[in-house]
Amino acid sequence: MSHPRFTGGVTLGTGIGLRVPHYDHILSEKPTVDWFEIISENFMVRGGRSLAVLDTILDQYQVVQHGVGLYPGGAKGLDMDHLRRLKDLVKRTKTPWISDHLCWGSVDGSMSHDLLPLPYTFEAARKTAENLRIAQDILEVPLAMENVSSYAEFNDDEMTEWEFLSEVTEAADVGILLDVNNIYVSSVNHGFDPLDYVNFVPADRVAQIHIAGHSRYQRFIIDTHDHPVIDPVWKLYARAIERCGPTATLLEWDASIPSFEEVWTEAKKSEHWREWIIQEKGVNDGEP
Amino acid sequence: MANLDHIQREFFKALLLPLRGSSRISTELAETEEGHSPEFFRIADEIIKPGPSLTSAERLELYHRQYWFRTLDSLAEDFPVLRRMASDELFWKLIERYLLERPSQSFTLRHLGEAFADFIAASELLDDVQRLWFSSVARIEYTFMECFECAQGARPEAEDLADGIIELQEHVKPLHLPVPADLCWDWQHFNEATKPQAVYLAVWREPSGRSRQERLEAAEFPLLLRLKDGVKLDELFASLPEPVPSEEEITRWFAKWHGYQWLAVRGKEGKQELDSSGGWLGMDRMSSQAVAME
Repeated sequence: MSHPRFTGGVTLGTGIGLRVPHYDHILSEKPTVDWFEIISENFMVRGGRSLAVLDTILDQYQVVQHGVGLYPGGAKGLDMDHLRRLKDLVKRTKTPWISDHLCWGSVDGSMSHDLLPLPYTFEAARKTAENLRIAQDILEVPLAMENVSSYAEFNDDEMTEWEFLSEVTEAADVGILLDVNNIYVSSVNHGFDPLDYVNFVPADRVAQIHIAGHSRYQRFIIDTHDHPVIDPVWKLYARAIERCGPTATLLEWDASIPSFEEVWTEAKKSEHWREWIIQEKGVNDGEP
Repeated sequence: MANLDHIQREFFKALLLPLRGSSRISTELAETEEGHSPEFFRIADEIIKPGPSLTSAERLELYHRQYWFRTLDSLAEDFPVLRRMASDELFWKLIERYLLERPSQSFTLRHLGEAFADFIAASELLDDVQRLWFSSVARIEYTFMECFECAQGARPEAEDLADGIIELQEHVKPLHLPVPADLCWDWQHFNEATKPQAVYLAVWREPSGRSRQERLEAAEFPLLLRLKDGVKLDELFASLPEPVPSEEEITRWFAKWHGYQWLAVRGKEGKQELDSSGGWLGMDRMSSQAVAME
């Protein structure tokens, strides 16, 4: 089970991403949802309706921040203005932890708006951990790093992705947001066994799990978050729960978004998998 | 072994290279016979390992496409009136050239068009008339975006009007444009024969969150600029800017500004009320999500 220092001592069940097509439903019906995940960058504004919606949601729900722009793998360090804006939002949301991606995305201030893959080298691990320690100190809430789905590997790689994730999170002493769909996507794109990945991850650092759907093309898979979760990903999820114990779980659905009920029903399937694995394997606090 | 900085610079350089070949067909950019440049293949071979089903260049191309699809779509979404006025072919040429010259400098895609109006004003793709009109349209459309995310100040109470520093709400932007570009919102096609007369406009965010624009009177504009900087009302009235407005005009304008909720008190934070009547268009602009491939 995740160490409380990676979750701020807060235990959460099933959540979904707070998305615009569901605003009317959420604001009028106030459905029962354990928690919402927000994309931090969508609310890093000075005012306007984004913050008005967020404040209303915060009055009624637990919100956890998930970022897409920290870029902790940047060779030239972190963007301090970005961190300041992020911290302002943290104060507003009182998020128990904050997640972002183990990636990079900008050079000399120019932005890719993408989660670009890191070379799995010791130098990259050192630099990323150094950046994460700085971010953790400034933000003053537990940080969790998400493994990204990737479509490329580097000639200079010195370790596997799961070794890199462990190396960085242990050196920086931060948590992990384990995205089992991303593991599946990358396993097909790079030709590895996704169970090797799930079995290696330091279970006590896993603060949260992401599940999602993806799009399969002839020769590769793209992480599009626009379909239901497929069975092989649920099985990875079950194995992750077996190792990590009950863990805050979030369904990502970001394109071709169906009704709130459909998204929530898909997310709730994770509870059946959690119950099944706990009953079947006698898992309670996880078996790393 | 290459260091991290070198790998990231090379990767990023490849992302910014022009979209080519089959990748281009999936966009609305004009087709070209050209394939990737030797530079693209050099970078792919140097840094990217070939995969089980894709070559180094094909793997790099997935990121290259996503970068372009995402930025092109985002920019096109922000400038719908410019697109209608310029027509598709010219619009996509402008967007592509802009992105090649000026990659995004902000953490959010909402700011991607922040220099588009200035770029258009100097673009060699356009004639003098188009430069004036299209840059003015782009300026209004980007100002809509700016208003969307500006802070909300507290509205002045009676005692604030007597003692406080009164200023324009941050989400009210007075604009002085060389042509009446606001007319384009009612046009289906660009009417280049229209007289290029300078106009004053205010673009602002309504309580519903919708951005609006409205013409200002010539003497109203300098008064709003003074308020933009913040001023005590007795000081404003003691030294009214030229052309000095009449008392009747000032009374009428203040009534309008009050009705539109344009005024704020310096140093007091306001609260944006939640109003869903305007719908939620433009409320999210997530970056970093993968784009489906055609």
